[in-house]
Amino acid sequence: MIMAILETKDLKYSYPDGTTAIRGMDIEIMRGKKTAFVGRNGSGKSTLFMLLNGTIKPKDGRILFNGKQLGYDRKSLRDIRKNVGIVFQNSDDQIFAPTVYQDVAFGPTNLGYSKEKVREKVTETLEYFGLTDLKDKPPHHLSGGQKKRVAIAGIVSMQPQVIILDEPLANLDPVGADELLDVLNALNDSGTTLIISTHDVDLAHNWADHLYFMAKGKVIGEGTPDKVFNDPELIREAHLKSPITLDIYHEIERRGLAKPNQHPTSVPELVDTLKPPELMWVEVPTETLEGDVLNLGVLHGEYALQSPYEAVNARVLHMHSDGRAVVEVVRHGIKAGGIAIYDIEQYDPDGFQRIMETEEIAMIGAMGKQSKMLAEEYHIPIQISSGVIDRTLLMALCGKRCLILTSGGMISHSMKRIDEYAQRSGIAINVSIVNHD
Amino acid sequence: MDRQAICITNILDDYALLSPLRYRNNYLKIGIVTFGLLMGVSSTSPITPILIALSMFLATVLFGAIPVRFYLKLLSAPAVFVLLSVVVIAFFFGTGGELFGFDILGYRFSINTGGLNMALLVLARTLSGMTCLFFLALTTPMVELFSVLKTMKLPDSFIEISMMMYRYIFVFLEVAWSIRYAQNVRLGYRDWWTSLRSLAMLCTTLFLRSWEQGEKIFVSMSSRCYDGKLVFFEERRPIRINEMMLTCLYVAAITLVWYSTRDFVFV
Repeated sequence: MIMAILETKDLKYSYPDGTTAIRGMDIEIMRGKKTAFVGRNGSGKSTLFMLLNGTIKPKDGRILFNGKQLGYDRKSLRDIRKNVGIVFQNSDDQIFAPTVYQDVAFGPTNLGYSKEKVREKVTETLEYFGLTDLKDKPPHHLSGGQKKRVAIAGIVSMQPQVIILDEPLANLDPVGADELLDVLNALNDSGTTLIISTHDVDLAHNWADHLYFMAKGKVIGEGTPDKVFNDPELIREAHLKSPITLDIYHEIERRGLAKPNQHPTSVPELVDTLKPPELMWVEVPTETLEGDVLNLGVLHGEYALQSPYEAVNARVLHMHSDGRAVVEVVRHGIKAGGIAIYDIEQYDPDGFQRIMETEEIAMIGAMGKQSKMLAEEYHIPIQISSGVIDRTLLMALCGKRCLILTSGGMISHSMKRIDEYAQRSGIAINVSIVNHD
Repeated sequence: MDRQAICITNILDDYALLSPLRYRNNYLKIGIVTFGLLMGVSSTSPITPILIALSMFLATVLFGAIPVRFYLKLLSAPAVFVLLSVVVIAFFFGTGGELFGFDILGYRFSINTGGLNMALLVLARTLSGMTCLFFLALTTPMVELFSVLKTMKLPDSFIEISMMMYRYIFVFLEVAWSIRYAQNVRLGYRDWWTSLRSLAMLCTTLFLRSWEQGEKIFVSMSSRCYDGKLVFFEERRPIRINEMMLTCLYVAAITLVWYSTRDFVFV
């Protein structure tokens, strides 16, 4: 299996009127990853996207899909367009059918599926995007966020391997944007490679696995978020600005309030850097050496600062002659709060009530449209409806237990994000799916 | 944006989209309406058309859940026109005994029995025709009619173009209203001449926009493997037994009234 699903080699394109849009690009899109193209308007992002699914033909250079060069005959074009779907920036450019159902059915119909298969695919996709109730509505009765979901559903119903989204969050309200990101993350989790373009540096920094900075039709920088966003020269050249979490981090770090050399991409990670070394005098056994790690046992009550119980280790920094030493204390919460994930596809009211009582849930978050609809239907009070993973993590760090209502691919995505955070920060956060056997 | 104005322009379709009768069999609705139209027009007495008008009004308001106020408002525009025409007919047409009359400047204006009968018949027929068409328009949105057009064997390209036209009417309506608003706040409709100029600019821009939009749609459609063919999916909406029985009853009743009142004269 080739790792790069899409590749370009010295790609060039100029418009019929002579304007050069792409001047020699070499990119590699990794399978199953989230890639973001960042650059100001007119830097060639949209043109690049249309080249990647064969909508326009390059003047020079090559495009490889799964290691095979892209052809421009009917059959190859059909193949690439089935596998690389584009969601356009303006949903009205894409949704042309008079009803939601017919628009989502457009792609599968063009793939030559039988009527039954089309119906099955469309029903499944509409269900997945929480659009079933809107299926007979005409697009002009939908809100911006709903239109965006219809546009994405129209692409997903063709089951592409790669989905390209041109400015997916443009014109969406904050909660709508957050719901869309949940959907995208769930898609990515089930194996779809995602490519977006954006000029929202915070989104690019927090969301993408790999970034390309573009300016004037060229890639001027690429790499992981922590690499590209730590290069002020590159940021200036791309006509962008530094992400807000990094700005805050740099300021508090400069004042000696945070650990140095960190790279927080989200608020919980930022909070995690807020730990100046905690120094303490302790009595140590005589044979102790500087640099040793001592186990100071479990503290609780007023000695436990971050969670009800803490396992405390200490690294010896300096030995004193009278058997005492200066140590740096490292605390690990034993029962930091936890996060319970509830799969709404197996919702039953009694079981839910029981979980709420036995798990001592302090707050409930809903992730995804379906969860919110379920919560409304059963009058479940929702405290967190956007930025759900980050905010439940922050609550858990304060020793509270939170419940996340979600379903499908978003479950494994949330588990992954929380585990990653626990590993990086060293704080044990209890996470489990509470209603699976 | 001028939301209110947009609502008024597409309100008929909006009500139809939300009407519970939307999900009933389209052919049944069209059949009932056609029957109503034919019976109303062919009736020689005003009784049948009035009965049809009443039943259509009740069906639209009760089964179709259309607000009465809105319905009457919709009806009022053509109704005023009809009433005026009917007065003219009553005075200037027909023969028979004079029922009512007066002199103006030595000229005799009078209504005779023939004129009154004709006026009443015209009024009743027009009302029944309008209520029949309102029933269809308020319970069957455009999106439902496309599949009917398809089964009527109209050319595919004709239906496809009308589908897209329907969709983009609303997109351009919104564009048109925002342009008009932008012109309005800069006094673009201050007097007759500036209004004319602004309107011309609006039309030009709209034309260019729709041209661009056409190209954009083509790009986005071909990126979803468009190969020149759209396929429709007609929702299966079988006619239920009780619907069928009610319709038969209605047809029978109207036909009976139509037949028994064929020689009826009002005065």
